[in-house]
Amino acid sequence: MLSFLLRTGWKKLWTLFFISVISFAVIHLAPGEPSQIDPMNPRFTPQQLERYRKAFDLDQPLHIQYLRFYRRLFTGELRSFKDNQPVLPKIVERVWNSLWLFLAGTILVWCAAFPLGITTAIRRNSVLDKVTTVVVFALISIPGFYLAYLLIIFVVQTFHVDVIGLRTFGHQGRNLVWSFMDRTWHLVLPSVLGATAGIAILSRYVRAQMLEVITSDYVRTARAKGLDEDTVLYKHALRNGLLPFVTMLGLIVPGLVGGSVIIETIFAWPGIGRLGYEAILSRDYPIVITLNFVAALLTLVGTLLSDLLYMVVDPRIRLEGVE
Amino acid sequence: MAQGAATGPAAVMVSPSRLAWRSFLRDRIAVAGMMACTLFFVVALFGLLVTKGDHPVLDPRQVRLADKFRAPLSLPNRLAVPIEALPRLGVYLLGTDELGRDVFARMLEGAFVSLSVGFVAVGIAVAIGIIFGGIAGYYGRVRILRLMSVDTLITGLIDVALSFPAFFLILTVVAILRPSIWNIMVVIGLTSWEGTARFVRAEILALREQDFVQAARALGVSGPRVILRHLLPNAVAPVLVSATLGIAGAILTESALSFLGFGVPPPDATWGNILSDGKNYLFDAWWLTIIPGTAILVIVLAFNLFGEGLREAFNPRLRQL
Repeated sequence: MLSFLLRTGWKKLWTLFFISVISFAVIHLAPGEPSQIDPMNPRFTPQQLERYRKAFDLDQPLHIQYLRFYRRLFTGELRSFKDNQPVLPKIVERVWNSLWLFLAGTILVWCAAFPLGITTAIRRNSVLDKVTTVVVFALISIPGFYLAYLLIIFVVQTFHVDVIGLRTFGHQGRNLVWSFMDRTWHLVLPSVLGATAGIAILSRYVRAQMLEVITSDYVRTARAKGLDEDTVLYKHALRNGLLPFVTMLGLIVPGLVGGSVIIETIFAWPGIGRLGYEAILSRDYPIVITLNFVAALLTLVGTLLSDLLYMVVDPRIRLEGVE
Repeated sequence: MAQGAATGPAAVMVSPSRLAWRSFLRDRIAVAGMMACTLFFVVALFGLLVTKGDHPVLDPRQVRLADKFRAPLSLPNRLAVPIEALPRLGVYLLGTDELGRDVFARMLEGAFVSLSVGFVAVGIAVAIGIIFGGIAGYYGRVRILRLMSVDTLITGLIDVALSFPAFFLILTVVAILRPSIWNIMVVIGLTSWEGTARFVRAEILALREQDFVQAARALGVSGPRVILRHLLPNAVAPVLVSATLGIAGAILTESALSFLGFGVPPPDATWGNILSDGKNYLFDAWWLTIIPGTAILVIVLAFNLFGEGLREAFNPRLRQL
């Protein structure tokens, strides 16, 4: 048990180190030498270059640059190029807006994907299974922004309601109930759109996992014992089949940043995806680099949590290194 | 039992891959996906033939300002458009865009560009995946500087790569380097090799100690050759599956990048940038959005269904006989 914890911790430390190196290395992709100044490019002037070189200590050797970058990041000295605010608080402020979207989307994904995946696995090759397969793959295959445009036009033309942004514009003085309902409604479309791909992918995983378990020997044994189908499926198969999904808790975290860029841009949602996109458009490198680092860090924490959770639910993991 | 099977009349040797293939053919959805993919190849190659060169049969770059926003199947305005600029087919099959360019010709040109984005990106990803997976699986126990084993290092790298939000990282790199078709292909490739690496590593780990590998090694076959000639062929199925799904993913990623303004820049047409340009005119010219959007949906769906069918067929536990 202790050795498992130590091994996991040691591995995560290495991962953290590599993550920090790669996040930092991205800086060096940007043109950083005075000789690279392009007079044709108004976005890249000598003043900007000077600012960039100063912000990231590009005159220093690499390891000094690396150390100073992370010191500045955590002491709040690393500031946005755009408004000169410290980077970390600026990101944290936006995280709250994204978090609502992310939570609503995640709940939708988990509530829809598991029943869908389990049902299609149990009734493999039925009409339901075939239709769901095609629909689910269509949802994975449609460009997200295309689906979003079609849905927005449909909803706005049918219900004549406002769907863009956090709340309806120009109704700040209304009572609490009204604004709560308004905000909830504005959450619906972006979270449903954000969840479609997740539902599709996760339900496929659940289906594949259930199929593997259903065809395994111990399930056949359970059937041979004469247990009724419900006990076999829900008590024997399902429990084992769902184990791997504990690890998925960690893997959904990168979606908080990456998956939200397009949705938040379309819906003018002031979250971190949009912050990142705006930062990219305005060449605000400190924000962009920090966002990549923060997202990777969050994922690392997520996977660590799911590893620990996995250890709790699956005794085989705890005993792995013992033999 | 074994003897009975060998002497019995029905004992025909069927290789596992043939079994998988038979099972694949029985999956009608997957076969439909495969046929759509093949059709897409043909269309893309045909598109390359008729739209490339100085005087292409169908010119995707011909601007006709008199004929902008023509609906599909509408006839050209013969009085305003010069004779050499008239569409060869005599009709705008899929309409024209905001510059009066023929959408049919642009879609044909874009088919090849989109396909090559998918192929090159996946090619890069698979190559990196095979190299890393192969090294981790075969040389995994070698230690570097007594600190960690090669396997720990490479699985660690895979964890690191999975930690980054792939789309945002791609967006970051493309934005910093400026979008060009090569940058986009390379960046998508560099951020999607993890799956292949994992499959190859797992397959090689499972087979490394088997007799045929020992025999090859005893004959003095070098490590890389053992990996490539003796071990890798066993991992073809999962690699093929992740490549098929990867092409679908790359086409989608390109269209998402186009939407954010960092896709393949003009004058190259891809389905992604036709769609993201077209959406600005959604209310005036629906076909500029619906046609490329549906085309992307159909082709990505085809690759996904094909890949999923392969995955089920090659997994002996899921195979249906």
